[in-house]
Amino acid sequence: MKLTNTAILLAVFFTQTVFAQSTGRVFVTNERSNTVSVINGTTHQVEATIDIGERPRGIGISPDGSEVYVAISNENKIAVFDPKSLKVLRKFNVGEDPEAFAVHPNGNIYISNEASAKAAVINPRNGVIVAEIPVGLEPEGVAISPDGKRVIITSESTNMLHIVAVPEHKIIHNILVGARPRAATFNHDGKFSYATAEIGGEVIKVNMKTGQIVKRISLGDDKAKPKDILLSKDGKKLYVAGGRLNQVMVLDSESLELIKGIPVGKRVWGLAMSKDGKRIYSSNGVSSDVSIIDTVNNIVIATTKVGEFPWGIVIDD
Amino acid sequence: MLEIRQFYILALLISFTFSASGATNQTNEIKLSFIGNYDSQAFLGVKQGIDEANIQGQFLGQSYVLITSPKSSIAIFTTLDAKHIAQLSRTYPNKLIFNLVAEDNDLRFQCFDNVLHIIPSRAMIKDAENQWQKKNPNSAAKAQAWHHTFVKYAAGQLNTRFTQSYKNKMTDTAWAGWASVKLLSDSIARNQFNDNTSLLQFIKTELVFDGQKGISLNFRDTGQLRQPLLLIENENIAGEAPVLGIVDSGDLDSLGLRQCPK
Repeated sequence: MKLTNTAILLAVFFTQTVFAQSTGRVFVTNERSNTVSVINGTTHQVEATIDIGERPRGIGISPDGSEVYVAISNENKIAVFDPKSLKVLRKFNVGEDPEAFAVHPNGNIYISNEASAKAAVINPRNGVIVAEIPVGLEPEGVAISPDGKRVIITSESTNMLHIVAVPEHKIIHNILVGARPRAATFNHDGKFSYATAEIGGEVIKVNMKTGQIVKRISLGDDKAKPKDILLSKDGKKLYVAGGRLNQVMVLDSESLELIKGIPVGKRVWGLAMSKDGKRIYSSNGVSSDVSIIDTVNNIVIATTKVGEFPWGIVIDD
Repeated sequence: MLEIRQFYILALLISFTFSASGATNQTNEIKLSFIGNYDSQAFLGVKQGIDEANIQGQFLGQSYVLITSPKSSIAIFTTLDAKHIAQLSRTYPNKLIFNLVAEDNDLRFQCFDNVLHIIPSRAMIKDAENQWQKKNPNSAAKAQAWHHTFVKYAAGQLNTRFTQSYKNKMTDTAWAGWASVKLLSDSIARNQFNDNTSLLQFIKTELVFDGQKGISLNFRDTGQLRQPLLLIENENIAGEAPVLGIVDSGDLDSLGLRQCPK
């Protein structure tokens, strides 16, 4: 009897308090259409379109799945919408020209302010700026370690990865990488990170403890201007958005050697992976569509038309 | 020579405030000099470049300063004409000399070891315009290195920063000034150079430079920076060269003199 009660209590706790029931939807920001496309995760069809604000780019979801955040670049705001009702709940001010951001396990948003050479930490519940961290010029990509203790900010014009300690919000390493670093990701135990350099056409692997680059490769094709980067669920493969190469490149995470190029739409920048690791979604800016990749066979299983210039993707799963 | 000496006297000492932060305490000061017109857009571009180099430098313990004496500097940025650039090259054989304004084809033909031409040559401009006219016979668009309305490839951000600093629109010579310092500081950030010869060698042979034009830039053996150009018509960007459909858009050597005459 007692056990049953505890089980029920736990069930209530997890379903209602901690995790909102996920919708399985895929949300895509459309930079030119000023909208978010809502893709049904099962049918791959667009089931709704949300008017969100002028020039939406970065997108993220709260740790409990109850709110989706969108950087509205031309309004200097973040918009918050409900992934179930799709209603815009509120907007709050952030720095000039917000672009990429990541949501910390504690709920705070880490965002790069491209115009002011700073990264900001914002509490999305009340819009209060918790901290500001001076970084290099044109900060862009933000990645947060699995334990939440490290944040990587890439500064595109200064060609650096800045490794920030949390909660101190102090930079502990500044790592020079190839020209125009755009995005980074951690491995599953947080000991290594990977980053892309768009103009340098490079992917690098960094030891997070020493702040040293342990491996770097050139993608070897002038059209390969890498942007987003993700690690597979088993940690063995990297998925890299290849820009105007119009491919998602699959690399061996150890050797960084190219295993396969998956043809997708035109000028692929954004990537997102489902929690089970079985699907990767790519936003293809110039062809205005999203490619849905099956990661078992590394092939595109569906292509969905969205708004103009799709940029960021997040999955509510 | 007299004229050049006069420019030294004209030279102003400009110091840039620099605050060190991060892990490193030692600051390595890198001295740069400027010879030419201090009222020029090119000079504003150099200043913008130095400000930005110091943003990177604060993380690396490097500080860039503009000094009056070319003798004590590692690099000279200049708005002088072709004749005086030739003189500068001979007077300072061990300095890197950045040509920000002179478009003369002859300067590229002469293949000075230590002169880096950041501004495009007339031949590059002509080739770009010819390519454009093959595709658009009625267009009288003019080719140039940069334009204040350029937005793509983070060009918009550079234009915004420059306008905020100097209440001026960024011209192609301002871009050349900025790009000179940026490619120099990018190179110094990445390597421990013991002398100017190895620094110059690196810049001329190994550089992968992000000039905010969407493609990595590097040098020809003539000392000319390979780069795409913008076609400007009625103060708007009509297109880019190399012109897609006429040549491969990545073929930067379709513009101007490819290499030193053998």
